[in-house]
Amino acid sequence: MSVMGIEAVGARPVAATLPSLASLPTGAVGPLAGGAPAGPASGEDVASAFGAALTRGIASVEAAEKKADGLAVQAATGTLTDVHDYVIAANQAKLATELTVAVRNKAVEAFSEIMRLQA
Amino acid sequence: MTIFSAIGIAGTGATVHRKWLDAISDNIANINTARPSSEAAYQEKRVIAEAVDYGSGTGGVRVAGTALASSAEGRMVYEPDNALADAEGYVRYPDVDLGSQMSQMIMAQRGYQANLAVVDRARETYMAALRIGGGA
Repeated sequence: MSVMGIEAVGARPVAATLPSLASLPTGAVGPLAGGAPAGPASGEDVASAFGAALTRGIASVEAAEKKADGLAVQAATGTLTDVHDYVIAANQAKLATELTVAVRNKAVEAFSEIMRLQA
Repeated sequence: MTIFSAIGIAGTGATVHRKWLDAISDNIANINTARPSSEAAYQEKRVIAEAVDYGSGTGGVRVAGTALASSAEGRMVYEPDNALADAEGYVRYPDVDLGSQMSQMIMAQRGYQANLAVVDRARETYMAALRIGGGA
C-alpha cells in the first residue's frame, strides 16, 4: 500500500516528459498562428507548474495512505477505537489515488493526442 | 481542510454517535448496580456534543465532555435480602430510566447510520467527478 506503485505506473515520468511535450506544440503551432504571441504563460512555465501540482498531489496521496496504514495497524493490534475511522481513511486514500491516476491519465492522453498530430 | 472533506466531516459525526452509544451501553450495564444506602448511586452519563465551526476550515462535530444526567441519590429500594441492605433494609439503585435509554439508543443508532450514509453518498459523488470526460 505505497505510492511507489503510482510512480511505477509513470506519474513522475509524465512530469519529466512534459517539458518536451510543451516545447513541441508551441514550436509547431507558432508559425501557423502567423507569429501571434504565445499565451499568458510560456509552455515551460505551464509544464513545470503541472509537474509541481502532480508532485503535491502525490504527496497528499502519500499522507492519506500513511493515515490509512496507521489505522490498519491499529485494527490488527486491537487498539482501534473507531471501526469507521479506518474504513473512511482507506476510502479517502483510495479516492485520492484515483484522482491522481485520473490526472495522470488525462495528461498522457493529451500527450498522445499531440504526438498523433505528427503521424 | 483536506480534499475530500465531506467524508471526514461525516466521520466525526459517526464518532460522536459511537461515543453516545458507549454512554448508553454504560448506563444500561449499570442499571441494576445496587449500592449501600451510605454510598452514592451510579449516575447516568450523557455525551455533550459540540459543533466545530465550519468557518475554521474543519467542520463537523466533537464530544465536548460528558454530563451526569441523574442524581447521586438514585432510588431507595426496599430489599432486606440484599447483602448491601442497611439496617432498615434499603439499598440504593441508580435512577436510570430504561425506556429513555432505549429511545436514545434508537437515535444514536440512526444517527450513526445516517453519517455512514453520507460517507457512502459523498464517495459516490466524488467517484462521479473522477469519471468526468471518461464516458466517451
